[in-house]
Amino acid sequence: MERQGKVQDAWIVGGHTFSSRLLMGTGKYQDAETMVGAVLASGAQIVTVALRRMGRIPQEDDMLGPLGEMKGITLMPNTSGARNATEAIRAARLGRELCGSPFVKVEIHPNPHHLMPDPIETFEAAKVLAAEGFVVMPYMPADPVLAKRLEDVGCASLMPLGSAIGSGHGLATAEMLRLILRHARIPVIVDAGLRSPSEAAAALEMGCDAVLVNSAVAASGDPIAMAAAFAQAVGAGRVAHRAGLMPRGGGTALATSPLTAFLSVEDA
Amino acid sequence: MNLVVNGEAYVAKQPESVAALLEEMGIGGRPVVVVLNDEVVPPSSRIACRLREGDCVELFRLVGGG
Repeated sequence: MERQGKVQDAWIVGGHTFSSRLLMGTGKYQDAETMVGAVLASGAQIVTVALRRMGRIPQEDDMLGPLGEMKGITLMPNTSGARNATEAIRAARLGRELCGSPFVKVEIHPNPHHLMPDPIETFEAAKVLAAEGFVVMPYMPADPVLAKRLEDVGCASLMPLGSAIGSGHGLATAEMLRLILRHARIPVIVDAGLRSPSEAAAALEMGCDAVLVNSAVAASGDPIAMAAAFAQAVGAGRVAHRAGLMPRGGGTALATSPLTAFLSVEDA
Repeated sequence: MNLVVNGEAYVAKQPESVAALLEEMGIGGRPVVVVLNDEVVPPSSRIACRLREGDCVELFRLVGGG
């Protein structure tokens, strides 16, 4: 019998193999020490970063310096701040220069009120970047039609939102995620909206390959402890998915113990 | 020499190369991407890459993000 701790359950995205199914963002942390502690506690192997023009006065706190030196961590620059495909493509190319990583999280959300991803611009950027050899991970609406189109142009994964970025509304898109999962042939990663580890576990239970969290950890009371909690939840959800959940009852109870009175004879 | 750095006017004192500009700005050893007139200047070319009057320089770095 395979022991739980020894389950070989890697997943592959864009030809790269990972064991951790928890991806971490690095925004919103109070300080670099907490961020690095949370990333370590999470066991994440893919970590997102953003790209910005430098201010005229150089800032001393280089938050991401320690991350770049950590072994086993792949930096995935995002294209946040891009309002259209042209800007996202430019951001992706600059991010590749800085990170030396082919991974890019394509993220185009022109409306600061709801931060919903622009499906048309996202598709256009993904098409160009995939053709250039990027490992394209698009942040996208939970739309199975768009998912198929993004897969067809060579995206390495799909990253549908659970709910709005930073909202903590969890898996509001659960039914659409199930439709995406039914047909996807590339990894599906729930990105955005999660608040609690139980939601991450639910995403993995339903068959998602991984989740990406940032605010849920960074804005929690104890980010390092919360990162560890998410890691456990993701692990539990994945093992549960592989095990297969029991069928739902048809509206009636089904006893787990024999229904005879305890003074009756066994097997009577 | 008058340059435009990250969209703002900048008068450089030692502007002979991209590398010298970064040193002057105090960001010599830091991980940045340099874009000169819309072209990326890779780190290996920064010493050899000369600046000219009116050049437009953009500097990007990684920050925390989700």
